[in-house]
Formats: sequence, C-alpha cells, structure tokens
Amino acid sequence: MKLSNLKACSALAALGLGLALSATSASAQDVPSWCGPNKATLALLDGFGGNSWRLVTTASGKQEAEKCPSITEYFYADGQGDTQKAISDINSMAARGVNAMVVFGDAGPAVLPALTNAYRSGAVVVPYRVNVGGEAGKNYTRFIGADFVYDGESWGKWIKANFPDGANILFLSGPAGNSQGLDELKGMKNILDDSYVFLNPEPFAVTNWDPSLTQQVLSAAIAQHEDIDVIVSDFGPSLVGALPVFGNFNRSIPALATSDGNSLGCFWEENHEANPDFKLFTVATGNDNVRLAVQWAIAEATGGTPPEKEIFEAPNFEDSTDGDPSPVQCRADLPGAIYLSSQLSGDDQAKAVGQ
Amino acid sequence: MADSSPNTFGGAAGLASVNLAKGFVTIVVSTLALIVLCVIFAPSAVTAGSLVGSLPFASVLAIVGLGQMLVVQQGGFDLSVPGSVSLAVVIATHMPNGNDAMLLQSVLVAIGFALVAGVLNGIMVAYFRLNAIVATIGMNALLYAAVFAISGGVPRITTKLLAGIAGGKTLGIPHSVYFALGLLAIVSFVLKKTVAGRRFEAIGANPKAARAAGLVVKPYQAMAYVFAQLLYCTAGILIAGITREPTAFQGNSLLLPSVAVVVLAGTSLLGGRGFPISVVIAAFFLNQLSQFALSIGVPYSAQTIVQALALVFGIGVYSIDWTTRFKTATQSSTEEENP
Repeated sequence: MKLSNLKACSALAALGLGLALSATSASAQDVPSWCGPNKATLALLDGFGGNSWRLVTTASGKQEAEKCPSITEYFYADGQGDTQKAISDINSMAARGVNAMVVFGDAGPAVLPALTNAYRSGAVVVPYRVNVGGEAGKNYTRFIGADFVYDGESWGKWIKANFPDGANILFLSGPAGNSQGLDELKGMKNILDDSYVFLNPEPFAVTNWDPSLTQQVLSAAIAQHEDIDVIVSDFGPSLVGALPVFGNFNRSIPALATSDGNSLGCFWEENHEANPDFKLFTVATGNDNVRLAVQWAIAEATGGTPPEKEIFEAPNFEDSTDGDPSPVQCRADLPGAIYLSSQLSGDDQAKAVGQ
Repeated sequence: MADSSPNTFGGAAGLASVNLAKGFVTIVVSTLALIVLCVIFAPSAVTAGSLVGSLPFASVLAIVGLGQMLVVQQGGFDLSVPGSVSLAVVIATHMPNGNDAMLLQSVLVAIGFALVAGVLNGIMVAYFRLNAIVATIGMNALLYAAVFAISGGVPRITTKLLAGIAGGKTLGIPHSVYFALGLLAIVSFVLKKTVAGRRFEAIGANPKAARAAGLVVKPYQAMAYVFAQLLYCTAGILIAGITREPTAFQGNSLLLPSVAVVVLAGTSLLGGRGFPISVVIAAFFLNQLSQFALSIGVPYSAQTIVQALALVFGIGVYSIDWTTRFKTATQSSTEEENP
C-alpha cells in the first residue's frame, strides 16, 4: 500500500516536472548494477542527429537511461552538424547543472574545451565513439571509444576463413583519412598476410559514405579489376545501390564483409541466388556503443558500479556462409534504414526513424 | 589535358570569327583528348560496363548544369541546387515509401515544390532586385528545412518503378542518358529557335539594351529560376531512382560541379548566350575526368586537384583574352630584353 503510494507519488512528481522517464517502466525491471542510488540528471549531446543511424542511436541511449530510476531528468540536444552549436549545447547543459553528459563529439578536438569546462564544473562527462583528444580524469571522466581495429580483425578473420589461399580485396571507407577506416585497415592487416592484396589505392577507396559516390567508385574499380574476391566496406547499406553495377559487367557480386543494415540484408536475400559468389558477413553497426557510454555516465553520476568494458567492440552479426552468429536478416516490413543488430527492437527503430 | 590545351586554344583562336565555336570546340577537343588519355592510360574507364555505371551521374550533372546555365545566362548564380535536388530526392522516396502507385503523385508534389521555389527565387531576384547569391542561398536553407521536415534526415528506399524508370537501361543505354538528351533538345530548341528563347538570351546579354528595345525584362529573368528549379527537380528524381537508397542530402555534391560545367561550356558569368550542348558535353567531361582519376588510382587528394585544375583551365580559356595578353607579354618582354 505504502509502496504503491510512493510509486504513484513519484509518478506524479515525474509528470509534474515534465520528465521523459516514467517511473513505472523503470521499476518494472530489475535495476542494473551500473545504476546507483544517487539521483542525477543526464544529457545526451549529439553533434549531428539527422540520419537514421543517429536516430536509432539516440533512441537506444534514451532506452538505456530509462532502465535507471535514479535518473530524474533526461535531456537531448542535436548539434545539427554545426560545431558552434555543439559547443554551445555543451555549455548550456553545464550551465543548467546537468550531472552527467554523454557526448558524440563529431567535431573532434574542437569540442574539447567545452567538455573540459563542464568536467571542471563538476559534471560527469563521457565522450564516446569519436576521439576528442585530451585525457580521462583531466578533460573528461572517460572516453568510451569504439574499437574499429577489432572490426577490421573480425572482417580479416572471416576473409581468411573463406579465402584461405589469399584474395583480392577492395576496401571502401568514408572521407579521405578518416581514422575509422585507418583503424579498420590496421585490424585487417593484423590478420591477413601478403597473399591478400588490396586493390584500392592506399589506405582505402574514398566514398564519403555517400551512396552515389560509392556507386561511381565501384564502377571504376569493377571495370579496372577483373578479379575482385571480396569487398570490405564500413558502411554496408551505402553499397546497396552500387552492387548491381556488377550486373553491367555480367559478373557475380563478390563476397562482402561489412556492417549491417536492414536494406543490405534484404538486398542479399533478393540477389544471392543470381550471384553465386555473393557471400555476406556483417559486424554490428554499433548503435549500442551509446549504451555503454550511458552506463558509464550513469554509474559515475549515481554511484553505481561501472561496466567492465570501456571500449565498444562490435559483435559479429550475420554470416551467410555458416549462419553464425546469425543468418542474414531481412525485415521487409520495416524501413531499410534500420539496423537489426541493434538491441533496440526493429519496431522501436522504425518508430525512432519516424516511419 | 595539359597536352591538349595549346591545340585547343589554337583551334578556338582559328575560329574566333565564328564566335559560336569557342566554347564548343574547346570542350569537344578536351573531351576527345581525355578519351584518348583514357584509352592509353586507363582503358578500363572507357569500357561499356564502366560507362554504363558512370553515365547516369554524368546525365544528372548535365541536367543540373542546364538549370544552372539558365540562371547564369541572366547574370545570376543559383546556390539553391543542393536544397532543391535533395528535396526532390526526399519527396520521390518518402511519399511513395516503396509503393509504386504513389510515385506519380510524389513526382507532381516535387514539381509543385520546385515551382514554388523557382517563383520565389525569381521574384526575389528579378522584381525585388535582391542579389542572386543571397536570395538563392536563403532559398537553399528553406528547401533544406523542407527536406528535414519531410524526412527527418532519414532516407527511404526508392520504389521499384522509379528504379526501373531512372536506373534502367534500354538498348544498353541507361535511361538517365535519354532524359538528359531529351532535356537538352528541349532547352536548346526553346533557347535557340523560339522567340521567347531569343529574347531570353538577349536580355541576359544586356538587360538595359533589351529594355530599351521594348522587351519586358523581369518575367524573363524570373523564369530562368523557375525552369532551373524544374531541371534540378528532374535531376533529383533521377538520382532517387539511380541510387536505390539515396541519402537525404544527395544534392550537396552537385553545387560546385553545376557551376563548373557551365563555366567549362563557355557561358559568361556576366550573362548572355548559353551553350546547352557544351554544358552536357562538359558534364560528361567532368564525370569522365573523375573516372579517369579513379581508374589510374591516384589518391583522393589528387582527384580533387585534377578537377579543380579542369575548372581553372575552363575559366582561364574563356575569361582571359589570351590573344591580347600574349601579344602584350611578348612585346613587353622584347622591350625588356632591349632596354
């Protein structure tokens, strides 16, 4: 009786304060160990929020925060790709006295001074995924990076298992010199010896993760190289428009090691029979990186036990050759631009991307 | 490229009396030289398969370039290319959401938006005398607001029908090429063979003289922006079909090339005559140039430099009066030698 009163009261208080979190949903689950007893407010700060990957990530971060009833208020700010706005978002959250901040620092070291100020003013500051420079304990609480070398190693292992005698690899990544692509290449080279030849110019073919540029780059590469055994790309869905180019050359789509996406899975289902060499291996595209960062931020702010990991390692997701850990997945009823590897359910993701 | 420029220039100078030829001859000779370079150094860039893969993008660029040309002919610049192309992409993919039956409506809606944007641009520039750059950059921001309102930045997959119409092939040639050629024919015909088109060019060349001759100047200037928007819209719908899963910002990479092809085609940035055929050839040239750079495997930085050099070359050929410059230079150097 007393307990339910308390619950009702807290629910009312939550409503009164206009909180995003509902007390009932939090109490319905077991409170995770990273959620401590001290009350705290949490802000998720995005440098750029306008694509499906970010929308799913944001929804994932919110869902993770909702698991912890100690979080009394949850804020979100979108830097809209504007470094100035991203900085002013961080400053304004600090000025509001938010206890914990999880920051996707797209602008890199440019946001470090703002993060440092927030950290010095006593907030828990957890940048994640994009390296912002600085050091933990001095400029921010902890950096929860993603291990892209690990991604590269995962792809390397799969390539080695499927092409034990060596292979010609075409590696596509985003903008020139992006550190993600460089780390992935390092990972692949840790696993693959000289019998595996990279056909692209060093270090990777630049696509800006743009589907139309990818299509142009791939057309040129296919025309130039008779024998592409494997394509490696760190943004699988951007290949969906480009892969049919192989048809123009009357060649089978080759094996593909990449990150997952619903549209890619469905593309494989539709096309693998006509393309005998089209094997697909994906690692999770990493929306759940934000969960680890949120767990750390909440643990530090509420006095919970921090998670063991500080680096997000994307698990393997689909493998068309042996179905381990999962066969290729396609949910044709859901939008193409969602990521079935994410812990957020497909339907919730569809909601998050507004479809 | 570098090898071809002196020849090209000679050819152009030889035909200087026939003013028509300068832009056309230059771009044709450059393109032929590029094809020869491709055959020698990067044969893979001119195979049928490679061309089928890259021509759709050249076609899109050609269509956007034709739109930009109309605006440049009136002495303006249209910086709303990214917004309007992206908006067309987003409308053509979001409204139908995979349902072919909705495609026609979505295309009509996209055209409606293009008309509104074009009319607004035209009124701001022609009637309110706003600077074209300022007016169109503002319009670009508005169009992007619409892009976000409709899509939230999330792309959707193209309908099968649109993919077939825009991305398909007939007689081995991508449909987008037919679209580009068809629009080229229409734009050329209207500009060169109709009264309205001739007036349009005359007004672009010298609005004051045109007014003195009794022409109503403003509607023509405004119509440049309207037709430009319609062309961008067509290009956007084609991109949506060509790239199956486009981003919501697909127009971003088209702004600079759209100006580049207009310049390479020899259109004066001060306004005046347009060269639609040259614009389309220039689009093929720029596209082939990047395929060439990709095929010989130069680093990305070098690819960007090569494209920038092509642009400088284009401006250099047309904007500077080399004949007089060259003469003055030789004269002054002879003078310096004999003080």
